[in-house]
Amino acid sequence: MSSSLEKLVEDIIRESKTKAEELKKQALGQVEETLAKERADAVREADLIIRSAKSEADAERSRRISQAKQQARLLYLAEKNKVVRDVLNDLRSRLVRFAQDDPSYSQFLLKSIARGLEAVPSEAVKIALSERDIRRFKGTKMLEETLATTRTPRKAVLSDKPIARTGGAVVTSGDGKIRADCTFEARLELMEPRLLAEISRILFAS
Amino acid sequence: MSSPEIMRRIVEAEKESKRILQEAEQEIAKMKKELPNKIASMRQEILREVAQQRERLLVEAEKAGAEDAEQIALETRKKVEALSRTREARRKQALEKAMALLLS
Repeated sequence: MSSSLEKLVEDIIRESKTKAEELKKQALGQVEETLAKERADAVREADLIIRSAKSEADAERSRRISQAKQQARLLYLAEKNKVVRDVLNDLRSRLVRFAQDDPSYSQFLLKSIARGLEAVPSEAVKIALSERDIRRFKGTKMLEETLATTRTPRKAVLSDKPIARTGGAVVTSGDGKIRADCTFEARLELMEPRLLAEISRILFAS
Repeated sequence: MSSPEIMRRIVEAEKESKRILQEAEQEIAKMKKELPNKIASMRQEILREVAQQRERLLVEAEKAGAEDAEQIALETRKKVEALSRTREARRKQALEKAMALLLS
């Protein structure tokens, strides 16, 4: 009798221990499952943050490179422009010397006057020159010779008022309505794009 | 053994059984109560590491960008120096050509 009672008591205790272990195991499983799910969510969130940081970092690097390239391009173009402008300035200095003492300047001057006369379709015209050229023309037959080369006979007078130009002539119609500027300065301004292109082509040809 | 004695032993066993189950439930309740804190601290740890990683990435990118920019600036300086050393012969040729165009 005593031994069967002991067995009954042991059974009761063992059964409850087994149930308790089962309950704990089940609860632990749920806790681990929840933790795993939360960890996976956090890792996903972290991945998104890292991906976004990588994009941000790439964009920052590209921005720096692009900014540096833009600055480099501007610097290079400015230097190129300076080299070209230097040649253009040399050209201006050369024109001053040319107008002062080059024997072929007279030929250019006459050609400028002829060009101006052709551009101004007026019977009477006024020709304006620089102070030095006025002195050069006075007392010579140069103006008459030039008029003779034009197709139509003209009445041309040399203006006493000098123009502030390096060389060349300004031809104005008698009524002052039409004006042809055939000076170095006007030609330089007119031809500047072509001159710059030509200078660049020669300087930077590879 | 008398009947009352048997009954007493069974009742005691039942009591012990109940205590075991109650203890298990208390353990489970404690486990569940600690769960939100565990989750929070785990998240905090992951996000702290990710924040450090993000900071490292940005600093590295900034450094790399600065190095690239420096390299570009260096190459440009060389190109600009080469430009200013444009040979005199070419400058002369360009000047002659411009002069010829202007006087033509």
